[in-house]
Amino acid sequence: MSQTVLNSNVPGGPLADKWQNHKNEMKLVAPNNKRKYDIIVVGTGLAGASAAASLAELGYNVKAFCYQDSPRRAHSIAAQGGINAAKNYPNDGDSVHRLFYDTIKGGDFRSREANVHRLAEVSSSIIDQCVASGVPFAREYGGLLANRTFGGAQVSRTFYCRGQTGQQLLLGAYSGLMRQVGAGKVKMYPRREMLDLVNVDGVARGIVCRNLKTGEFETHAAHAVLLCTGGYGNVFYLSTNAKGSNVTAAWRCHKRGAYFANPCYTQIHPTCIPVKGDYQSKLTLMSESLRNDGRVWVPKESGDSRSPDQIPEDARDYYLERRYPAFGNMVPRDVASRAAKERCDAGFGTGETGMSVYLDFQRAIQEQGEDAIRSKYGNLFHMYQKITDENPYKTPMRIYPAVHYTMGGLWVDYNLESTVPGLFVLGEENFSDHGANRLGASALMQGLADGYFVAPYTVGHHLASRTLKPVTTAHPNFDQTRQEAKERVEKLIGVNGKRSVESFHRELGQIMWDNCGMARNADSLRAAADQIHTLRDQFWKQVFVPGSGASFNQQVELAGRVADFMEFGELFARDALAREESCGGHFREEHATEDGEAKRDDEHFQHVAAWEHTPDGDDVRHKEDLKFETVTPSTRSYK
Amino acid sequence: MNWLTGFLKSSVGRKFVMAFTGLFLCFFLVVHLAGNLMLYVGGEAYNNYAHKLHSNEEFLLIAEVLLFSAFALNIALAVTTTMENLRARKKSYKLVETKRDDRAMPLTSSADYTMMITGMIGLFFLAWHILDFKLEFGWEVLLEGQNSAQKVGIVLTNSTRALIYILGSVAFGIHVSHGLASACQTIGFNHPKYTPTVNIISKIFGWIVAVGFSSFPILAKFYPSLMTF
Amino acid sequence: MSDTDDNLTLTLRVWRQDDSETRGKFADYKISRISPHMSFLEMLDILNEQLIAQGDEPVAFDHDCREGICGTCSLMINGQAHGPDKETTTCQLHMRRFKNGDKIVIEPWRANAFPVVKDLVVDRTALDRIIESGGYVSVNTGQAQDANCLPIPRQDQSSAMDAAACIGCGACVAACKNASAMLFTSAKVSHLAQLPQGDPERPQRVLNMVAQMDAEGFGGCSNTYECEAACPAGVSIEHIARLNREYVKASFCSSATAAEPIQAGE
Repeated sequence: MSQTVLNSNVPGGPLADKWQNHKNEMKLVAPNNKRKYDIIVVGTGLAGASAAASLAELGYNVKAFCYQDSPRRAHSIAAQGGINAAKNYPNDGDSVHRLFYDTIKGGDFRSREANVHRLAEVSSSIIDQCVASGVPFAREYGGLLANRTFGGAQVSRTFYCRGQTGQQLLLGAYSGLMRQVGAGKVKMYPRREMLDLVNVDGVARGIVCRNLKTGEFETHAAHAVLLCTGGYGNVFYLSTNAKGSNVTAAWRCHKRGAYFANPCYTQIHPTCIPVKGDYQSKLTLMSESLRNDGRVWVPKESGDSRSPDQIPEDARDYYLERRYPAFGNMVPRDVASRAAKERCDAGFGTGETGMSVYLDFQRAIQEQGEDAIRSKYGNLFHMYQKITDENPYKTPMRIYPAVHYTMGGLWVDYNLESTVPGLFVLGEENFSDHGANRLGASALMQGLADGYFVAPYTVGHHLASRTLKPVTTAHPNFDQTRQEAKERVEKLIGVNGKRSVESFHRELGQIMWDNCGMARNADSLRAAADQIHTLRDQFWKQVFVPGSGASFNQQVELAGRVADFMEFGELFARDALAREESCGGHFREEHATEDGEAKRDDEHFQHVAAWEHTPDGDDVRHKEDLKFETVTPSTRSYK
Repeated sequence: MNWLTGFLKSSVGRKFVMAFTGLFLCFFLVVHLAGNLMLYVGGEAYNNYAHKLHSNEEFLLIAEVLLFSAFALNIALAVTTTMENLRARKKSYKLVETKRDDRAMPLTSSADYTMMITGMIGLFFLAWHILDFKLEFGWEVLLEGQNSAQKVGIVLTNSTRALIYILGSVAFGIHVSHGLASACQTIGFNHPKYTPTVNIISKIFGWIVAVGFSSFPILAKFYPSLMTF
Repeated sequence: MSDTDDNLTLTLRVWRQDDSETRGKFADYKISRISPHMSFLEMLDILNEQLIAQGDEPVAFDHDCREGICGTCSLMINGQAHGPDKETTTCQLHMRRFKNGDKIVIEPWRANAFPVVKDLVVDRTALDRIIESGGYVSVNTGQAQDANCLPIPRQDQSSAMDAAACIGCGACVAACKNASAMLFTSAKVSHLAQLPQGDPERPQRVLNMVAQMDAEGFGGCSNTYECEAACPAGVSIEHIARLNREYVKASFCSSATAAEPIQAGE
């Protein structure tokens, strides 16, 4: 295992001055020269749409790509809770430093100080920008902005639009994007899937994508490529991600030289609607805010099949309150998720499958009245009832953890540039800001910070400081890469086996969930790597992709994504195996305290693991040491 | 594009003109019905009203020009927008079912789905109505020397006419029961405060038009004595 | 629960069409062992697995988030956009709404402005072009003042949010007898007309967006309000009335004129 130390290009000076200093020093592209540069943005979620719009406003020529039929549908749209910003409007003592500290602590001290501080610094500007673009944030009666409290913080700093904050923020960024499309500065390419990266002289200079409507393979050249294609939670098959969310763009860039950082860091959200049956295609999240009033419990007796209202108070085990008296039901996501798994694995789970726990509002309803609960959570209760056909005002909700967000992603330096020069990675797709665990309401903040306020500066620096010779799609690398992408698709169709792509994806997900999920150990991880390897072999012998690649064919799309997930899953397991500690969402059973809590190993693992792809397929682990100059890593305790 | 042609070419602008003319025509219906109801006061009252109306020729001319333009615009826009609307979906659904709680299937039982039909029946009636009373076409002999009230009685006792007039009145009633509320919406007169009331008023107005205007041929048919002046 | 309630057998009559150029037709499929807890799309997943197992091409349908917010899923189910439930997208519709032995007719959104891409998938980029024509506030990144410099009355914010909740699925177009996009267009016009941020471009926005909507080949509004009933986000026709007001005001009381519509094209 190589131990190359990666250069994060973090600027010098005190932490609070780094970003300002860096902005002062970065090279600029003169206004009338900007139109000479082309920039490709892949993905149109919060990060992609905001970056594409901002770069186009500056004068660059932008080409934006998304696999959806419209840029407005990216999965950022599904975020419910809110977006954090250190505005301190409630006058409760918030500051940039506090937001920075909460975020880095929430990430279990596995993120880069300078990046997180920058995130906290620009958070206020994000709110200003969103309000100016028409995002209807919740207001107080005086007409000023309202805030709510979220997990992991002792101040109210979360801005929200009902339960649809992600939707409103995305539509704000999307409207800015569409304005630039109208102005001719952005050319929008919907229903395109990026299938490969084209490097020329070691610099990212373009992409190959498949037109999902016609099946054509297209090449596009540019002076910089921005990847904003989100997380890879769907490697677990069942997750709260959109069905189309995938790792393909990231994985293809990884194979072209971009290091993949911390792939094993996955956030498993504790309050999701449990799996109903083997037909299940997707999991639905219920906002974390429910735990403010709901109490989590399972029967004290294993296999107690009485309906919950028949189980008396003394036969119930409020295990979070029992184990964590100080925080009770409000422990962080990773802790709550593991505790639920522990109870279900021990045979105390409820429901037909035994894989769920109760989230009970009985006491809250008794104390506050049903109307008060309805006004707080009405929409969530409604959604729960719609999906499960059970009335949560009468019977307790049943919940179970589900894969929700991936903190890992392509490695980037302080400029959000990957190990491939000219390839920038933004939003959930990079690894940079959340460490080993993400706090609620921080994902939206990071996506927009990267797109609105970081990339527009750092991409300019790349363009101004490097000599980029003119390259068009006529360059032989484009044709060659296109040919390779095309052959991969043809090979998938050519297998012509008997088994559906979907069935492979489900099996992969099961392997991942059973062995690399909420709790992992060396044996399970080795087993996962082996099983995935075998499954991949089977996939390439038995998969059946109906139809042709020369037209709209959703099976071709899916097959390509699943093929990449299979390769990626193995790296995921290897990364989890190599990280011999427990931190945040990564819980190694061997590395736990006596009472089952996560045990970090700062001496050996206070670093980012960044995997380099090698031609023989055996990825090499590099590391970037994390230096904490301002904060001191401490042990999280919620007892 | 010139702002006015732009407005008049746009879907919203044309609907606005339709709504505006529609509201004017509704107003006309009210005046017309009020005038007709004079018949129930007595032949003399009605004759006085008719005489006053016809004695001011300038007023009558302006009113008629406005009225005919309103009808013409309303009809022309209805025809062109309906054609366009039909063209907006060349391939139609195999199955259509409403999602509105207040609407029953089939959709043709709803006033808003039959605006074209009720409008056309109304137009057909209107043509007869103008031939009968304005031009007295075919009635030259019978109506010779009669006063206005007597003319009404004579025309409406004719069974064919009675049928056409009842049909026309009901068609107009249905037409305006949607038309009035719809015109309010189109000119932007909508607010949760009063729109429910507007919708009720529109329905009541429809009934008033249908019952009010058809009462004359019905009475003429079943109680001819009441319509003899 | 009886066996049949827990285990539905259904006949699906599904629209199949290769692309916008070819003629489509209905195909009938028998499908059994459907759990009432499945979502409608999961039922279609099962159908597709069945078709793949037979070596046939699966039915193409659009879907993504499967939690009712992205607006990707569509489908005319037994003549109703997004099926029989109110304020529900197809992905949130569950099979418990159907009975054993039911026959379900599944059609794509039908409108000239939404050409069929394949089977049940249609092209809704016309809606994007309507937004492109004016559904935004012209503010560049970095130009914003402090967010609290713009106090907004809570009721205005709330009403703007009601309109902004539109998910852009196109059910309003699909359900309208005229294939009109008035509810979609009005939602964005109304959202921005009620906020001070949207004020400077108010007249221009509504003129451009209506011109674009007309140019896309959508029908006009005839106030039948099926759009409102079909809208999964509960967008009200009040917003259409507001668009009408805005349009008349912009036409008669401002010097703005509509821009030339944007041409469709790759």
